[in-house]
Amino acid sequence: MGANFGSKYLMNKFLTKKLSIISFTFIPIIYLWHPNWLGFLGVQPYWPLFWLLPWSMINGSINGLMFGLFLGLILDSLTLNESFTQIPGLIFCGFLFGRIKLHSDFLLGHFRYGLICSLGSFLCGTFYFLQILFRNFSDSNFLMLIPSVKNTLAEVFLTGLFAPFICSQLLRMFNFSRRKIQ
Amino acid sequence: MLGIRRISTSRWWHKKKNWLFFAIFLLLTFVRISKGAFYKDFYYFISKPFWPGQFQKEIVLESIDQEYLIKLNLLKKDNLRLRQILSLQESSNDEHISAAVISRKTGGWWRQIILNKGSKDGVEIGNIVIGPGGLLGRVKNTSLFTSSVTLITSPESKLGVWVDRIQTNGLLIGLGDDYPSLILYSEDADIKVGDFVSSSPASTLLPPNIPIGIVQSIDETLKSKKTAKILLLAKPHVIDWVQILEVNI
Repeated sequence: MGANFGSKYLMNKFLTKKLSIISFTFIPIIYLWHPNWLGFLGVQPYWPLFWLLPWSMINGSINGLMFGLFLGLILDSLTLNESFTQIPGLIFCGFLFGRIKLHSDFLLGHFRYGLICSLGSFLCGTFYFLQILFRNFSDSNFLMLIPSVKNTLAEVFLTGLFAPFICSQLLRMFNFSRRKIQ
Repeated sequence: MLGIRRISTSRWWHKKKNWLFFAIFLLLTFVRISKGAFYKDFYYFISKPFWPGQFQKEIVLESIDQEYLIKLNLLKKDNLRLRQILSLQESSNDEHISAAVISRKTGGWWRQIILNKGSKDGVEIGNIVIGPGGLLGRVKNTSLFTSSVTLITSPESKLGVWVDRIQTNGLLIGLGDDYPSLILYSEDADIKVGDFVSSSPASTLLPPNIPIGIVQSIDETLKSKKTAKILLLAKPHVIDWVQILEVNI
């Protein structure tokens, strides 16, 4: 009985401690799941930014940059486009998000997450698009322009729409986990 | 006086019976002139409950399906035999692996699907994936239990295709949207909207004669080449089951 209680306590402690890392492992899963009913024009919100923003805000730029790199590596391994990578965008966003201070105003903070994530998604989309443009510079690059702009704008819109809900919850969760550790 | 009255009552037009006959005669004349239209329309309504119904339609459609299937099999066999005689490329006709789509990215930057069959089931890199309608893409990567397929709409996809009506080879390039672009490197290629595009017999990546799509619109702004948007026959965003083909090229 005592041993059982002890193991349960340890398990709970571990879960609380590693809440941020456990949520990190869900990013590739939701990225693969790609729920169509959440999409707009066939495009999904840029999921990794929802995790990266609270993580970087709490842990700073260098940590954000590192985890941006990790996220980029994982997500690149899940996509088949070998010529293009998501790493530069995510590293940049990780670094940028780390410079942002937590805001005391509850409502303003919510909207701020939306705006910041939209900006991040725009940056990531632009980085990705520039790679495609650079790769296909010699032939038919103008044909890629319209779908790429559509993809970027739809992604920016959706990421901005969902960010206030998801980021604030994750931020609260990460803060809770940090306080427990201290 | 009485005599006059008697004569007037004996006239034929004073008899109702005659008028009745006349009316019937007129009616029948009209029926004759209208080729029995009233009768036919009347028959239409009374025979309506006894028409050959939906059931009959199903029987006919089923028979037509069976007929087409048999014809298709015969033509396939013929095609295979003739290709063997002429030593042309052929796709493997016995190795079809059925697989379910377990992850799907058909919008946005990444256009890929992940299938529930992997190297354990004999799927190899470079295998062709087809769905109802035609070609979907090529297997780019396999794990033990899954295989990842690059769709032909992906910006990474470049395939050799064949426009049958004008007997010309072209290049099909994915643009990152639902309509890949067909490029014909010939300014006088007479391509038209509605032309059928299939895999090229000259392609080293695909077996020949796999349906791909039809020409939706043509862009003739460039002088050196013609480009066309292709509407794909297989819809990757709705297909749940696909077949993986081994390529023997």
